[in-house]
Amino acid sequence: MEHISVILFWTAFLLYGAAFVLFVYHLVSKRPVFNRWGTFVVVAAWLAQTVSLAARGVSAGHVPVYGAYESLSLIAWFVVLVYLVLELRTNVRAIGLYTMPAVLIFLGVAWASYRAPAGLLPVLKSDLVALHVTVIFTSLAAFILAAGAALLYLIEDRELKRHGVSAVLGRLPSLETLDRLTFHAILFGLPFLSMGIIAGIIRAQKWGVHQWYLDPLVLLAIVAWAVYAAFLYARVGAGWRGRRTAYLALAGVICLLLIRFAVVPFLSNFHTYGS
Amino acid sequence: MERVMQVICVGVSHKTTPLELRERLALDDGKCVHVASGFLRDDSIREAVALSTCNRTELYLYGEDTSAARSAALARLAGCGGASAAEIEPYAYCYTGAGAIAHLFRVAASLDSMVVGEAQILAQIKTAHQVAGESDCSGVVLNKVFRHAVEVGKRVRTETAIGERPVSISSAAVELALQVFGKLENHTVLILGAGEMSELTATHLKARGIRKIFVSNRTHTAAQELAERYGGSAVAWDALEEHLVVADIVISSTSAPHYVVTRAHVERAMRPRRHRPLFLIDIAVPRDCEPEINKVDGAYLYDIDDLQEIVDRNRGARERDAEEAESIVEEEVARVEAWLAGLEVVPTINLLRAEVEKIREAELERIVRRMGDVDEDTLRKVEMLSTCLVNKILHQPTVRMKELAATDRDATLYIEAVRHLFGLEESPEDAPASGGSAPVDGAPEEAEEDLGQDLEEPEEEAQGETGAGEAPAAGDEPTLGGELTGSPAARGRSQGAA
Repeated sequence: MEHISVILFWTAFLLYGAAFVLFVYHLVSKRPVFNRWGTFVVVAAWLAQTVSLAARGVSAGHVPVYGAYESLSLIAWFVVLVYLVLELRTNVRAIGLYTMPAVLIFLGVAWASYRAPAGLLPVLKSDLVALHVTVIFTSLAAFILAAGAALLYLIEDRELKRHGVSAVLGRLPSLETLDRLTFHAILFGLPFLSMGIIAGIIRAQKWGVHQWYLDPLVLLAIVAWAVYAAFLYARVGAGWRGRRTAYLALAGVICLLLIRFAVVPFLSNFHTYGS
Repeated sequence: MERVMQVICVGVSHKTTPLELRERLALDDGKCVHVASGFLRDDSIREAVALSTCNRTELYLYGEDTSAARSAALARLAGCGGASAAEIEPYAYCYTGAGAIAHLFRVAASLDSMVVGEAQILAQIKTAHQVAGESDCSGVVLNKVFRHAVEVGKRVRTETAIGERPVSISSAAVELALQVFGKLENHTVLILGAGEMSELTATHLKARGIRKIFVSNRTHTAAQELAERYGGSAVAWDALEEHLVVADIVISSTSAPHYVVTRAHVERAMRPRRHRPLFLIDIAVPRDCEPEINKVDGAYLYDIDDLQEIVDRNRGARERDAEEAESIVEEEVARVEAWLAGLEVVPTINLLRAEVEKIREAELERIVRRMGDVDEDTLRKVEMLSTCLVNKILHQPTVRMKELAATDRDATLYIEAVRHLFGLEESPEDAPASGGSAPVDGAPEEAEEDLGQDLEEPEEEAQGETGAGEAPAAGDEPTLGGELTGSPAARGRSQGAA
């Protein structure tokens, strides 16, 4: 079962790569058909990855959310899911263009930290943990997409200010579309992040983790939450738009990525996954 | 000597012909049909389509390419506009064969248009073809060529960025507005001053869905006049700041000697606008908008020089696109040419097969008569033998001719040679439509059908093109014995004989 999972993991990886090439080619060649093919390839890759994750779950005997390999591929899976839903609903092209690199990086790092399935630490065997991880990953996926749109916004804004308008720019979504996309993705992500944080706190309390509130991970997660809350307030309440909110969207995702790639492996006292 | 059929194009266009003459030569749909059908009475012209737009009047013909045909076409073209052939001759052009097809494709790709990349011409070509088709003026060849032209036009538009890049100042401004706002339906434009440029831009914006238009001018009556024309509303000149709050796009072209819109104005407007982006187009000289405005968050200011620069850059890019488009045209012309060449080889092959089949039948009849009293099975085998031999012998020449027709420019030469060597002198029209044989003594018909089934597959292409009535062609390499025992039916029969 495990090698099926690995084979499908690589199938998905290569297909995502192919989709990325198609998206880039679409941008330079202008033929909209490549974008559609790209989306099809992404769907195929995502299905392969779904089966891969399921197979991993079967071979490991638990929901595949533990350890760097499982968690990172799951994040990538969520990112693609949210991307597909967004593209379907908003019909905004070019989301795939910035999503695919993120997905490929996640999967690459996931593979670098691949471990064969092993027994779980007893502490981690809990439905609450599974819930905690899943909702946090959902929010992370939404925030990554928001940050991608925000980044694209900043690039496009700069190009428009510099009067450096090129044909490639014309194939990217308009400023207002990107702004809306960022907003909607964050609006979608924040409830999940809140749920995830609450679930984490409940579990920490339950197991009596010592001074969990001083852990850098928890602190940074609270900061990220505050940044996104500020984003929503600024956007809805104060009527901010454009560059300033785009920076907030980027700041939030940087906090979350710091957690995943700096705090979890090096600083945190808990969240030591797997065996 | 065989008659050589060609696509011929005779016409005048904006490139060579003065407007006054073009106007006279322009044809409406009814006249198009009239002119085209006029050609069909002539024996040497098989098909005709007339294409007439404000920039060109062209006749596309399929028929014998002779100088007489050309001058007749020219005279008819001139005649419909009440001009004489001599009058239009210095302006008219004439293309034949691949040149004519290439010309139509270039027209369809808008490479020959006044504004390269314009989209209208494609619809005009479609209509011209449709009109000709409805009155039976166009046939197999021109149908193919015109349908292909439309495909070329579409291909050029999807595969190159031709027509995508704005090459006028007002359309560049609109493209930029779209890049900022995406859709313009729910946005508002504020026009300051009443210049020609701002009118043009406003027209463009309106075409893209802008509904709310405010016009402001120092003299209020001028503003009202302009507002009326666009279905907008005139606003007081000193209410500028209030309207900066509601407007998304500002087009400014006043003749004021100083800045009309300043950075302070825009900065103050941003908060009540809730930081929605503001796009300013300054087409006035001297400028109306303070350049510093561009530094305000969410405000994008383009002056006439910025727009001109974009237009210039796009012009360069458009030329590159045009080159790409030309290579697409070339590619597609080659395809249609190959198709046309195949068209000529098909009647020749039919003729050849009919000729050989005639010989086979005659010889078969002779041998059957001499064999006297034999059983039906033997008759069948003899019949099969003859068919197989004929098919075998004709297989290679058939395949080769088709290959040549598709790849070689001089295919007609070979076709000519085949016609000469086999004595196939009659023209293709007079040849029997099918090379199928009349059954000899009633019996062999069934045998031929059996054999046909055995051999059909490898030659399906030939079958498709030369018609169902043709004698079955030989298979690739099977031996005669193999063929005879190949099908279950044949095998059963030979066992019965043994």
